[in-house]
Amino acid sequence: MADARTPPFKFSLGRFIVFAFLAFAVCFYGIPLLWLLIAGTRSQSSLFADPPFVLGNWDSFIATWTNLTTYNNFQIVSWATNSVIYSVGGVLLSLVASIPAGYALAASEFPGRKLVLVVTLIAMITPSTAVVLPIFLEMNLLGLNNSYAGLILASGFFPFGVYLTYVYFSTSLPKGVMDSARIDGANRFELFTRIALPLARPIVALVAFFSFIGIWSNYFLAFVLLSDDKLYNLPVGLTVLISTSGALSNLPANDVPIKKPEVILAAILVILPVLLIFMVAQRFVRSGTLSGAEKG
Amino acid sequence: MSAIADTASPNALRDRARAARRKGQRDTRMAYLLLLPYIVLLIMFGVFPVAYAFGLSFVDTIENAFYGLANYEFVFNDFRVPTAAINVIWFVVIWVAMTMIGVATLSLMLDSVGRKTATTLRTIYFLPGAVTSSAVVVLWLFLLDPGVSPFQGLLHAAGWTYSIDVISGIGLAGVFALMAFFSSSGGWIVVFGGALSSLPTEVLEAARIDGANRFQLATRIKLPMIWRSLVLMGILSFAAGLQLFVEPQLMQLAGPQSAQNDWSLNQMAFQYAFRMGDFGASAALSTLLVGTSIIIALVIVFATRFYKID
Repeated sequence: MADARTPPFKFSLGRFIVFAFLAFAVCFYGIPLLWLLIAGTRSQSSLFADPPFVLGNWDSFIATWTNLTTYNNFQIVSWATNSVIYSVGGVLLSLVASIPAGYALAASEFPGRKLVLVVTLIAMITPSTAVVLPIFLEMNLLGLNNSYAGLILASGFFPFGVYLTYVYFSTSLPKGVMDSARIDGANRFELFTRIALPLARPIVALVAFFSFIGIWSNYFLAFVLLSDDKLYNLPVGLTVLISTSGALSNLPANDVPIKKPEVILAAILVILPVLLIFMVAQRFVRSGTLSGAEKG
Repeated sequence: MSAIADTASPNALRDRARAARRKGQRDTRMAYLLLLPYIVLLIMFGVFPVAYAFGLSFVDTIENAFYGLANYEFVFNDFRVPTAAINVIWFVVIWVAMTMIGVATLSLMLDSVGRKTATTLRTIYFLPGAVTSSAVVVLWLFLLDPGVSPFQGLLHAAGWTYSIDVISGIGLAGVFALMAFFSSSGGWIVVFGGALSSLPTEVLEAARIDGANRFQLATRIKLPMIWRSLVLMGILSFAAGLQLFVEPQLMQLAGPQSAQNDWSLNQMAFQYAFRMGDFGASAALSTLLVGTSIIIALVIVFATRFYKID
């Protein structure tokens, strides 16, 4: 309880400043998101003519939805499907790679352990955007550009997941349980599958959470690796919709059915899965981001 | 240990050592097996691309010949590169300052109000984190367009009629910093909410008894206690900011007059590869960028003790 730990305000001026600042932040963070969700229901003319927070109507929402989904032979549907394929494939691969690896780093001593840990940390701290062009150059060499496999493999590499798992197991693996299981004759692989994996449920969820968010909203890597528009994911597709229709440029009208409402709806499609996950899993961010970092 | 050595016969000792070594070997083999999938990915998408780009940066990829430092010379002599470097530095300075001041201020303020209020507000600050990559640019292009923006009152009051007025009024570095701050700061506020609520109650209580008011408590006690994590956040943001690509690249969505195709360094590396087909020059610039990131990472790992490596 904050109230038990901190004294009451002495000056109402201080209280006023704090609440004014917090309220300002509510506007900064909240208004754009609220506006976006409402604007998805409005028509093009309403967006310009009516006040910003007027709710649209069902008919205009359905018209927008139809325009967006049927455009170019249901292109957005296939982009959404691609996004699901990349995300499911990438998240599964990142789990298969990082959970055993993090466990091995935490539970055993072996030559090269320190090296793997240090390289993992460097790879984790280096922003993933820094390696996008080198990965493109490499994929170009390997002929893996422009394929589902290429993007899934590249997004399955998730050093942060390895580090989270390593920290989790090195603090939560009960040594006594491991030892008694070993005495009972469990071999090393069974130790992992029977003892460690059942304990790993929270860390699997945590790694899957961070990995999914990264992969679902990845624009740069997908943009660079994919050139066939049939393979695009939603974040890239969103920008293609806009640049082919000129929907944001306020230029003279054309007959492409993609206008501002359609773009807004497409943007909502891009952010909705992450938004829904965020609503239920805010604590994941708290427990994950600084884990292993020293307190204070 | 010495007690055992005193009583055990040399043979028993040797057997025990051998058994321990065998067990150690089995452990090692198992560990490598568990690590295998990750190591393959680590080499494929961590080590190899960086090494390959480094090697490629010394090759004339158009003539396929060793090129010495010519690619680097080419990059440094491209008049757009210093401009892009200055752009990126401006962006990073604004963004890191916004992040450190904004996140620290909001986190400390939230820690001083009632828990229910703080939780609700924190969630509101956090949700824009879902708006990332291309969606954040698209959203902000709407927000900065006085014709449709929910902030149109504010924009009109500033005397801006078209989005191009707004963008030149705020400046591109400021616009990109706003976009990045909007979607990335809420997660940090949640993280620092956790860090602040786990500060030792005794210390806060002692300060309170000594007569510290809320402001003093926040600035003299709590702030120094979270300072190291704030610095880590600043360094991580700095490293990420240097790699800026998506925000300027997507400005073209607002129309050809807004396009910024060579605004940032990463965009220049992209341009070399995709517009000019000069992979060598692209590799040279990428090497410089990724090299900077790796140096920052090495500093964090070895010169600070932020991350646990044992």
